[in-house]
Amino acid sequence: MPTFESIQRPERWAVPFSPEMTDADVDRLLTIEPFASLDPTRFRGKVTLRGILKNDTRLVRCQAGDIVVRQGDWGNSAFLVISGNVRVELGSAASLPSEILGRQSVPRKSLFQSIAQLWKKSSEPEVRDVAAYRDDPRIGTRGTGEQTRIYLQDVSTVLSKYKTATIEAGQFFGESAALGRTPRQATVFAERSTQLLEIRWQGLRDLMRRDDGLQKHIDTVFRDRALKWFLLNTPIFSHLGSEDINELVAQATFETHGQYDWAGSFKRLAKEGIDTDLQHEPLIAEEGNHPNGVVIVRSGLARLSRRHEHGHRTTGYLTPGQIYGLDEIIDGWLGKTPKPLTSSLRAIGIANVVTIPTRLIEKLLLEKADRRNLLGRGSSPTDPLANRPKIDTTRINSDFVEFLVENRYVNGTATMLIDMDRCTRCDDCVRACADTHDNNPRFLRRGPIQNNIMVAHACMHCEDPVCMIECPTGAIHRQTEGGQVVINDQTCIGCSACANNCLYNAIRMVEVRHQDGDFIRDDQKHAPIVKATKCDLCSDQLGGPACQRACPHDALIRMDMRDVKQLTDWYTR
Amino acid sequence: MNTLAARRTRNLGMTVVAALLILWLSDVMTTALQDTSRMSGWGLLAMIGFLAAYNLRKKLALLPLGSSASWLQLHIYIALLTAVVFGVHLNWKMPNGLVESILALLYLLVFASGVVGLFLSRSLAKRLTTRGEEVLFERIPVYRKRIQAEVEAIVFSGLEESESTAVAQFYADRLREFFLQTRNFWQHLVQSNRFRFGLLKEMQAYGRYLDESERAMMTRLVTCVEAKDDLDYQFSLQATLKYWLFIHVPLTYALLVFAALHLLLVSAFSGGVS
Repeated sequence: MPTFESIQRPERWAVPFSPEMTDADVDRLLTIEPFASLDPTRFRGKVTLRGILKNDTRLVRCQAGDIVVRQGDWGNSAFLVISGNVRVELGSAASLPSEILGRQSVPRKSLFQSIAQLWKKSSEPEVRDVAAYRDDPRIGTRGTGEQTRIYLQDVSTVLSKYKTATIEAGQFFGESAALGRTPRQATVFAERSTQLLEIRWQGLRDLMRRDDGLQKHIDTVFRDRALKWFLLNTPIFSHLGSEDINELVAQATFETHGQYDWAGSFKRLAKEGIDTDLQHEPLIAEEGNHPNGVVIVRSGLARLSRRHEHGHRTTGYLTPGQIYGLDEIIDGWLGKTPKPLTSSLRAIGIANVVTIPTRLIEKLLLEKADRRNLLGRGSSPTDPLANRPKIDTTRINSDFVEFLVENRYVNGTATMLIDMDRCTRCDDCVRACADTHDNNPRFLRRGPIQNNIMVAHACMHCEDPVCMIECPTGAIHRQTEGGQVVINDQTCIGCSACANNCLYNAIRMVEVRHQDGDFIRDDQKHAPIVKATKCDLCSDQLGGPACQRACPHDALIRMDMRDVKQLTDWYTR
Repeated sequence: MNTLAARRTRNLGMTVVAALLILWLSDVMTTALQDTSRMSGWGLLAMIGFLAAYNLRKKLALLPLGSSASWLQLHIYIALLTAVVFGVHLNWKMPNGLVESILALLYLLVFASGVVGLFLSRSLAKRLTTRGEEVLFERIPVYRKRIQAEVEAIVFSGLEESESTAVAQFYADRLREFFLQTRNFWQHLVQSNRFRFGLLKEMQAYGRYLDESERAMMTRLVTCVEAKDDLDYQFSLQATLKYWLFIHVPLTYALLVFAALHLLLVSAFSGGVS
């Protein structure tokens, strides 16, 4: 009889959100709203209300001034105020400065500062100024390790100076970002001693499914705040009036496909080899079916594929804001007979999509449109239908498209691609990077190669930056201007969460040193201080990414993979 | 985005037009009995100065001085244009003075090394992707030592397992030197597989003297030979791509020094001619 090692089959709550949640905590939560009035009979099978509260939530205690979420942060959870209250900063011209939120606002260097880098370079690697870690009185931190929290030191001044609104006990916040996998839209901080219940998105999703009130509340909040704004910014609807937009908002459906923790799953799958039948990528719409509506990707990524022999050939990919199914609906409308979908759409990792029913598209767009514009022959440069974007990757070798999608490189907004047919291996790019980062290159000129194009190990500044999700201090963040993902060296605690989450080996943990070469150590255990480092796209330098500017042979480019036309033009140049 | 071919056609076209303009201007000036050598000399010096500044631009990557690729395009086409200005300056004859002859020779060497460098950059880069794994130049000695250690382990394990020394003997006679350091630099540069083909044939033929386990060992050695040969190929091409500049750049500095000397002599002995 063959022998094998067996383990218990992994189940949903094998790893709870917080091991510190006790039964007593759950009992207490069940006595407060909205949980007290939830109907327990609607929670059948293994997913019980008690189970959700025990495994998908955690209690968070905040002191006055503690920042709960920052605008622009990425998170996978929503919050319910249990006691006390929090303040949400309302969007206005005067918003909280990045520095007091623990972020680094790095201005571009002046010409003289740029030149001064020539003689200010350190001879030792990863040199830091210790005073910069000690002396910034604007940043307050509490707690240690993953519990570290940035706090506002003078709450009363903040309240008087900036426009805020109160979120009282019993109210939710952060649900749109958690469910939509989009950045937090506002900064929230505790006004006084406050207890919050943090609910990870899976738990929130299950609570919504089983409670109509909660579902309705979150649905209303989402449609009012996020969906309307999103549709207004979608080019094909940008010309519609407010009545039409409201009709779209009312009838649009919003779905999430794939796994929130897709990065972790991808790492596991990558070890198993190629997924030729794409079974790990949830199907959003299938080739050959009638288009029920136009699908718009709100966040995440999706693969377009066509059946080919016994597999699926990738024909393109969709990034946020891009549209699927419109051409088939237009063809059907023009030909008066329904046209089936010409390709399948699958979530790569995770994709949040908004679907607008076919009937509504016909009513709001097609019935009012010029036939020539629908055929793509219209002369109007402003007509959104005449100028609807085409996802055309036919000029790129299909192997290369498969490679980019398979390895999730399409996630990058500044993916470093190197044309190895033109690269002379001179390393001018690496030297330029080191020159602009105090002698520390922030990428490796190594990486997988396909069709003689290398995807180097450099931060891609992802559309969906999984590195940001678990950062306890928000040190790794997206810059408001430019959108680069950068690390605030001052608030990075060296926990490695970002480096572990990054799929592309683009973040390196380094031990930092004094000018004289000695390691900077913590005052208790005397262990070297570790910081996360990565490409910052030379956001503080004049002239943009030094690597690209330094390449003499036009071999290296920082490619925004959302721009399929740019990618195609570069690939076929 | 323009295709590279379109860019090449455009830049070449502009260079040809500029060259024709220079020739026409020179012809007009000569017809008008004006001296072209002063103007062409200053022009040539300015152009060479600009070409030499490219090296400085490379070292100042942190300044917003335009992309290196744009500089290289200017470098290539202005360098081509200097050939015309050089011809005009010398009135299409070789000079007879010592300093001028050295200067002219230096110019020709710099020009030729630049053309060779351009050819190497465009052709060797492509060839690097056709053989072996992508390796960093500085890491090649490490990989070579790793392969050498693996080969020695195979040979020594063979000695321990078998009484025959056939494989070890073959290694000592034919392979040891090959694995010891980088080999066949020039052969790889001209893309000759003669050595590799010959050695592999020899190893195959030697199989008739080996038993089964030794033949298995030989098969593993064949893989190592191929890996080492690919590494040598990478070394040969990458080293050429790196080191041609060690000819081009020093020659440029020498050219600048002699050009300054030439300027000094011309100014000193011009006799006050305006």
